[in-house]
Amino acid sequence: MLKSDVDIVKVIESKFGDKVQIQLGLLGTAAVNTNGLHREILKAMVDADEKTGITAITGVDLGANLGVIYHVHTAKGFFGLRAEVPKEKPRIQTITDIIPGAAFHELEVTDFFGVVFEGNELKGHFLLSEYWPEGIYPLRKNVNPAEVKLNPAPPEEKMHEDRKIVKFIIGPQHPALLEPEKFAVTVDGEVVTKVEPRIGYVHRGIEKSAESRSYIQDIYLVERVCGICNPCHAYGFVGAVEKILKTDVPPRAKYLRVISLELNRLHSHLLTLGHAGLEIGYETLFQYFWRDREPIMDLIELTSGNRVYASLMTIGGVRRDLKDTDVPKIKTTLAELRKKLPFYRKVYTEEPSIRARMQNEGVLSRADAIKLCVVGPVARGSGYDIDVRKDDPYEAYGEIPFKEIVYDSGDTWARQNVRMDELEQSINIIEYALEHMPKGPFRVDVSRYVPAGEAINRVEAPRGELFYYVKGNGTASPERVKIRTPTYANIPAFLKTAIGENIADVPPNFVSLDPCFSCTDR
Amino acid sequence: MPGTITWARVKSPWVLHFNSGACNGCDIEIVALLTPKYDVERFGIKLEPSPRHADVLLVTGCVTQQCAERLKRVYDQMPQPKFVVAIGACACSGGVFEGNYNVVGGVDKVIPVTAYIPGCPPRPEALIDGVVKLLNALNPPKPKKQPKQAKVPKEEAKPAAEPQVVVAAPEAKPVIEEAKQDAKK
Repeated sequence: MLKSDVDIVKVIESKFGDKVQIQLGLLGTAAVNTNGLHREILKAMVDADEKTGITAITGVDLGANLGVIYHVHTAKGFFGLRAEVPKEKPRIQTITDIIPGAAFHELEVTDFFGVVFEGNELKGHFLLSEYWPEGIYPLRKNVNPAEVKLNPAPPEEKMHEDRKIVKFIIGPQHPALLEPEKFAVTVDGEVVTKVEPRIGYVHRGIEKSAESRSYIQDIYLVERVCGICNPCHAYGFVGAVEKILKTDVPPRAKYLRVISLELNRLHSHLLTLGHAGLEIGYETLFQYFWRDREPIMDLIELTSGNRVYASLMTIGGVRRDLKDTDVPKIKTTLAELRKKLPFYRKVYTEEPSIRARMQNEGVLSRADAIKLCVVGPVARGSGYDIDVRKDDPYEAYGEIPFKEIVYDSGDTWARQNVRMDELEQSINIIEYALEHMPKGPFRVDVSRYVPAGEAINRVEAPRGELFYYVKGNGTASPERVKIRTPTYANIPAFLKTAIGENIADVPPNFVSLDPCFSCTDR
Repeated sequence: MPGTITWARVKSPWVLHFNSGACNGCDIEIVALLTPKYDVERFGIKLEPSPRHADVLLVTGCVTQQCAERLKRVYDQMPQPKFVVAIGACACSGGVFEGNYNVVGGVDKVIPVTAYIPGCPPRPEALIDGVVKLLNALNPPKPKKQPKQAKVPKEEAKPAAEPQVVVAAPEAKPVIEEAKQDAKK
């Protein structure tokens, strides 16, 4: 395994020489103009580093051409591979045979920009509504959504294919789903043989509407991608804009941001651990976890002024300082939560009903996790140690000691235990940040007009890596905003692990991904 | 007998939650209502998974094109009398997503709404307040207290005597009147 990102750059340079142009420091470690060699470069990267995977694929309207940017992560680096296709004939070869996890990312670019990936078997609308007409792609600059004529009625669905093999359709409104999504589950008796997802019920077109609003308005717009992990979205956008502006955030703001992000992780993990209890019929556990989540909500309100939408991040720092008089309250609340953790760990490790329903269910091997490019606790539960806070430290995470939690068994139980242990690490991080908080200003003034340029930002949200790509064009609003959310990357893991399971074990397995479809659909 | 039905309906409204394109902010606050700190089950309010057993439909989020038809279908499946509560800024008017290509708008563009609870997201206390106001509209407090008022003129009990709904849409009125007629029978 390679130890640094420079080695990958050297691999590309030595193999391809003058055929490609490399710009160091742009779009992560380096941006590479592939000149039609994107498949060959990806192959070389996969051979050089086993952890190579696709984080996102961004489509960009460049006028005459459509740009496709493959955002690739390696063990220590992050690369943007650029390719271009003409608008008249937007065809490009798929990379799903090299990295299978890219399939849904390619489908999204097809849906939004109409780029055809030759060899990708997935077809049809995935994020757009079924009323949306063929041949019109909403994120192209020449499309005015107000003028689009919608199809009158979608084709009817078949509930049953034949007698022996039954196709269930779960959703959009279903007791087990908190959000409207549809899964067509094919079962042979009790055993699941195939799962076909159809998302897009919560698709609100945030990426398009961000292009018509100012940068300051966009902070509040992208926050509303997801009500659960909203500080991560705000930080993802703000951090990318700061990279285009080349602004340095004051040290105190960095610590305040870390506190906000970690409080968010605490409440999100408590939420999903409780929800997991509900899905296996263990409602007491659900009530306990949610009881202990409320003090954390109070802390979020104390530090940001709002219970759910923190609205703390802004370009150049944070909007509110932390009062010294509030620190003791935060410390005592966290100490109380820490006292309760041993009980929950005991429940999760010793309780027979949890072990019976969660252990050895939905097993995802490490090799599959790497191939499918999964992120966050799902990857760490399979022994795949990726955590943006460690791999590519942002804000104050480089200065704060904490442990990266990895479990090897790869089952539902391991994924939930990763979250269980991360609760303690988050408490440690907040306590350390409060102790070592630097003095000084908490924001700097920045220009409202962002120069032309592009930047990416990666955040470790509670559900895994959240990725933002922002392209500015020198005006008050961005040219393109691309959001890749953690659940979008984790869907392939569910499709893989659900096969061969009993139908009753599907809900706990599904919830162990901590799915958030308002994130996924945007 | 109708009095008994109204009594049962008000003392134990079963609510159905439908997310028509929300960001999870309001949805999580609704779930928080059921957990120990707020615990609305003490008022008899129960989250019901099936539309066919529900009295009140709680809708969160702006209505997306894909969800519009489903929302209507869920509403049609509910038995009469039925009430719709739009929760959050997006459900009330479309919120920040108003005008986006995949968004139809607020809930009242698709189905009649009885009560609106604004906020992004509304606090759990606001949700409880909204539901209580809706229930008061169904079963107005009886004017029994008036003789007492005469004895103690200083006591201000008048505001509680008038039934209050947060905001009632024009389409929603017939539903309420029907409920009142039910109660009178």
